Formats: sequence, structure tokens, C-alpha cells
Amino acid sequence: MMFRCLRYLAGLMGFAFLLSPAFAADPILIGVSLTQSPPGSVVQGTQVKDGMEILKDMVNAKGGVLGRPIKILYEDNQGIPEKGRAATEKLISSDKVVAMAGGHQSSVCLAEIEVAHRYKVPYVNTNCWSDDVRKRGYPEVFNTSPYNTLVSSSMATTLATMGVKRVVAFAENTDYGIGQAKLTGELLKAKAPQIEYKYETLDRASKDFTAAVLPLRANPPDVIVMSMLPPAAYLLMNQVYEQGVAPTAKTLMYDGGGLADYPDFWQNVKEGGKYLLSFALYHPQMKQTPLASDIAAEYKKRTGGDINRLVLQAADSLELVIQGIESAKSTDSDKLIKAMQTMNFKSIRGVSDFSNKPGFGYQQWLEIPYVNYELTAEKQPIAQTVLIQAPGQKFDASKIVHPAK
Amino acid sequence: MLAFDLLANGLIYGCFYALMAIGLAMIFGVLKIVNFAHGEFFMIGAYTYVLVALKLGVSPWLALPCAAVSGALLGWLVERLLMRPMYQGYASWGFMKDEYAVVVTFGLSLLLINLVDKIVGPYSFRGPPLIDVSRFALGPIMLTGQKAIAAVVSVLLMIGLALFIKRSVWGKQIQAVAQNRLGASLAGIDATRTTSLIFMISGMLAALSGALLAPLVNPSPDIGAFPAVKSYVIVVLGGMGSIWGAMLAALILGVSEAFFSVYISYDYRDAFGLIILVVVLLFRPQGLFGEKGREL
Repeated sequence: MMFRCLRYLAGLMGFAFLLSPAFAADPILIGVSLTQSPPGSVVQGTQVKDGMEILKDMVNAKGGVLGRPIKILYEDNQGIPEKGRAATEKLISSDKVVAMAGGHQSSVCLAEIEVAHRYKVPYVNTNCWSDDVRKRGYPEVFNTSPYNTLVSSSMATTLATMGVKRVVAFAENTDYGIGQAKLTGELLKAKAPQIEYKYETLDRASKDFTAAVLPLRANPPDVIVMSMLPPAAYLLMNQVYEQGVAPTAKTLMYDGGGLADYPDFWQNVKEGGKYLLSFALYHPQMKQTPLASDIAAEYKKRTGGDINRLVLQAADSLELVIQGIESAKSTDSDKLIKAMQTMNFKSIRGVSDFSNKPGFGYQQWLEIPYVNYELTAEKQPIAQTVLIQAPGQKFDASKIVHPAK
Repeated sequence: MLAFDLLANGLIYGCFYALMAIGLAMIFGVLKIVNFAHGEFFMIGAYTYVLVALKLGVSPWLALPCAAVSGALLGWLVERLLMRPMYQGYASWGFMKDEYAVVVTFGLSLLLINLVDKIVGPYSFRGPPLIDVSRFALGPIMLTGQKAIAAVVSVLLMIGLALFIKRSVWGKQIQAVAQNRLGASLAGIDATRTTSLIFMISGMLAALSGALLAPLVNPSPDIGAFPAVKSYVIVVLGGMGSIWGAMLAALILGVSEAFFSVYISYDYRDAFGLIILVVVLLFRPQGLFGEKGREL
């Protein structure tokens, strides 16, 4: 009797197994540590998540990767390095993700890559600009993100071309801010030693920068460079405007962080944003790949807003992992890393020239398209901005618009 | 010219700090506890002002009293639900009263920050100004309409509060309860209702401070941290429980930070207030206007 029951049970279990859907494979888990609450930049974290989700849905709609759906596990690091480290530890050791992506704040990235390196899990740097992330030389870390040497070099060339005499930079007290401000100064000194340059470090958690801005009223520079992220960057812009320091006929502000891209830019900045010069990694006039156009259309459908560079960067970093898995035909860490090092990555944003030279270029895609533009009206859409430097073109200082006074 | 600018900005920010710190001083004066959720009263006031003005399309001048009401209501709720056990429940036996206050108010602070983060969202919002004058020169000083109006409103509020405490019946009750709770009760004063009133006033002042600063600091869920830390310094510097001390200490802090940041170093800006605090406490441990006392 008992034996008969067991036989029936075994038969039932076998039947149930046969009935289970053939495509119910385990999802491929990808870990993303990003900022979803203060004090880090929440607006950045949200853009990164949006980009990842859109591409993930597109890929899964076409059957996933190697017949398996992609599943992204998110952790909130609040922009704090220690929390980023803990989040990465959890995602890798407990959740067993095959790769990490989405890092968007340099100080946090620097903590997270240590964990990825220890576990030998691939880590795709989405938006950590600090050269130090590359200089560590970890083979697990792949950089589709812009990097400070690129940005600072462009900014230094821009400043030299503008023919200015005096530049003051404000940098947030992070690896990104200080790294960019310092490097811009060094490169500017090499290109145009006659330009006086100094930078000041500001606490990104502070709300009042008046004491840093006031001394500029008596002796305004020609350009104020900003190496800061929101919300501190917005406050600084407002306070510089309120003190009458910039924008004026003499002094303009130059942003090195792509602030005007963010969806909450105009609601926080208002008149202070007019005449802002911006180094930018996305502009509607840039040539887009078909996939980038699809992502832009989907982003517009989901959020009502126009696409920006961070959404595309996030999608690009996920795309690298996807193409790596397809190339390796495996999610094994060693094979994935090897594949990502040797394959020909077809970037959504059109980045190219993969380098493995030690230093700022280690495992970095060096050629990243960029532009420089100027906002000339309040609430101006990016598409209507004045393009001072078109993609692949030289900076044209004659196109810069100054306020009347 | 720079010195005038620094003095003006230091005094203006000092007024904002004072508005925030007075509420904290009042709570300490009566209950002898520190409210670690005080910064979140500021945050709630800022958000109420911004959301009422932006989402409901109400005039900023009407959004301001809405912020005051929200702060007063929150203060009343906190006292009624969380603080009352300290003098009516088990904690009133004297055991662990301070620990209770720290744990409860700290927990409340975390709860409020995360509630706002989840309900409203983590983005910052710039509040509409009370007066649409972006910047103007007052002699050598550059001001914005919002800063000027906010400073005037702050000063009027402080004067109003001082008169209320000194001249009104409720104000005298507050003074009595602050001096001796038991004695005030024996004299027929409802100490519980007076404590409620203090929390309401404290919440209202912090919320108004947040509302007045909302167009200047772009509120986000963690906006309460920076004025809260300043408030703790001010309350200790001025003398725990002393309203006049808090006002003076706030102005000293605002002006000294402005000057030291420019003439010494901006990098240590937040440290200057603490240095002044340490120096003052070395010579006057009770603070500028505090009274020496001893618990038995």
C-alpha cells in the first residue's frame, strides 16, 4: 500500500516537472548600488535606475540573454561610501549577482570596487568620473563612464579658447569634485599659463555658501567653474546669482557636471540658470544609435521628460554586461571579465577606443562624444540651447552670449 | 564693503537660527530634555510651505501660516503621544527620563525623514519667494527680497514671542512651569496643558523658520540636519532654557561664521561656532545667560 502511494507520488512529481514551462529559467541577477535617499544625489540615482529598467525590459521582451531573463537587484547607498561597500558586499556574497553596475558617485565607487575586486566579480562603472577609479588598475572594473581627464581637458581647452584672465572654481568635497577641479587647474596651467586659476572646496551637505561667494563681489573672476552635483550645485548657483556675482557682462558660470540635464534643474535654479555654459555628454544634435533613439522614446513615454546622458550611460553599462554574457556564453565571472576585455563592444552612446593602459585610461572607453552649450533663457529645453561646440568640432567662443550687464 | 555684506548676511542668518533655536530652548527650559526631532519640525514647515504654495497654487503669504499650523500641530501631537509619558507615565518616576527622550526623539526624527522621503519624494523643491524681488542693493549690501522679508518676519516673530512670554497669562504660566513644575501645579496652573502649549509654540517657530528659508535652501527630506546642529550649539551657548540667550547666541553664531569663513578659512566654517562654544563654556559653563544649578 505504502509502496503504491510512493509510486503515485513519484509519478505526480514527474508529471508536474514535465508541465513546468520550458522557458522558466533562472534569471540572471545583476546588482546595482545607487543613491535613492539623501545625502547623495537622488536625482542621479533615479536617472540611473530609469535607464537600467528601460533596457532590461527591452531585453527581456526579446527573450532575455542566453534564454534567461535579466533581473536587477537594487540597493540604496545614500551616496555614502561605507553604505556602498556594504550594499556591494550583500549583492555579491548574499544575492550572488553575476555582475555589478550603476555606480554613479566617485567616492562610493572607490569603496565598491574594492569589494568587487576581492570577489573577482565584474563591476561596470556607470558614472564615476574620478580618474582614481581607473588608476587602481583592477581587471574587474570596466569604465563606460566619462572620466575627469576627458572632462577637465575639454574644460581647460574651453577656458583657454575663451581668452579669460581669471577663473575661480568651486568643487564639492568628494573625489569627483576635487579631482576635476584640481586636474582642470593643472591642464589649464599647461595650455594657458597666463590664466589665473584657483579652486575652493565646498561641503556638499551645506546650504549656505554666501561666505564663499561674497569675496567674489569685490573682485569678480571672468568664469566661475562648478564641479558640483545637486542639490548643493543648485544652491550655489542661486547664491552666486543673488549676490550679483554671475551671470554678468564680465562673469559667466561654467558647469562641468551636466547639471542642466537633470529634470529638477529649472525648478530649483530659475533665473540663476540663464547664461550657464555647460560641458555636456548629450545633446539632441548628437548622432544617436537606433537603440539610443528607442530608449529615448521609451523614456519619454514613461516619464514625459526628454532623455539625458545619465539615462543613456546607465543603459550603456547594462548593455556592456549583456554583450559580455552573450560573448562569453556564460555568467561565470572569469569568462565574463575575459569576454568584456576582448570583445568589440557596440555602445548605445557610441563610445569607443577601449584602452587597457595603466592610469586614467585603464579599461576605459576613451572616445566619448561631448559638446559645450549655453542656456540663454529660463526653462530652455536642451534642444534649443546655443551649441558653442558641436560634436567633433572646435569650441567657438564667438557664439557665447553675455548678459547686457 | 565686504565687511558690511558679511555683517548683514550674518545677522540675517542669525535671525533664522534664532527662530529655530528658541523653540528648542523653551522645551529644554520646561522639560529639561533635548528634542532631537527639532530639525524635522523645520523640515515639515519648509515642505508644507512649498507644497501648499506650489501644488495648491496658494499665495506664499497664505502658505506661511499653513506652515505655522503644521508645526504647531506636529508639536502638539509629539507632546501628547510621545512626551507625556515622561511626566505622567513610568518615566516620570525619574528613571531613564533622559534616555527615553533621546531614543524617542531620535526615532521620531528618522521616521519623519523617511516618511517625507517616501510620500513626497527625495527631490529638492525651491519654494516660491514671499516677494518677487530677486536681488537689490541696499547701499553696499546685496540682498534678495526673500532674505529681507524673511529677516523682518523673523524679528517680528521674536519680538512677538518675547511680549507673549512676558505679558500674557499663558506666558506667565510658561515661566512658572519652567521654574518649578510642581510648584506651578500647586498654584493651580495646568502644567500638562502648558507643556502642550510650549511644544506647539516650539513646533510653530521651527516650522516658520523652515518656511522662511524654503526659497533659499531648496528643501529636501534631510534639510533639518543643518539647522538642528546649529540650534544645539546656540542653545548651549546661550544657556540651556534661556530664550534671550538663544537669540543672542544665534546672532553671534551667524556673524562669527560669516567673518571667520572669509577671513580665516571657509573649510572650517562649521567648526568656528563650536570653538566659540568651547571657549565660552570654559569660562561660563552655564552659557551666556544660563543659570548655575545642581541636581540632587
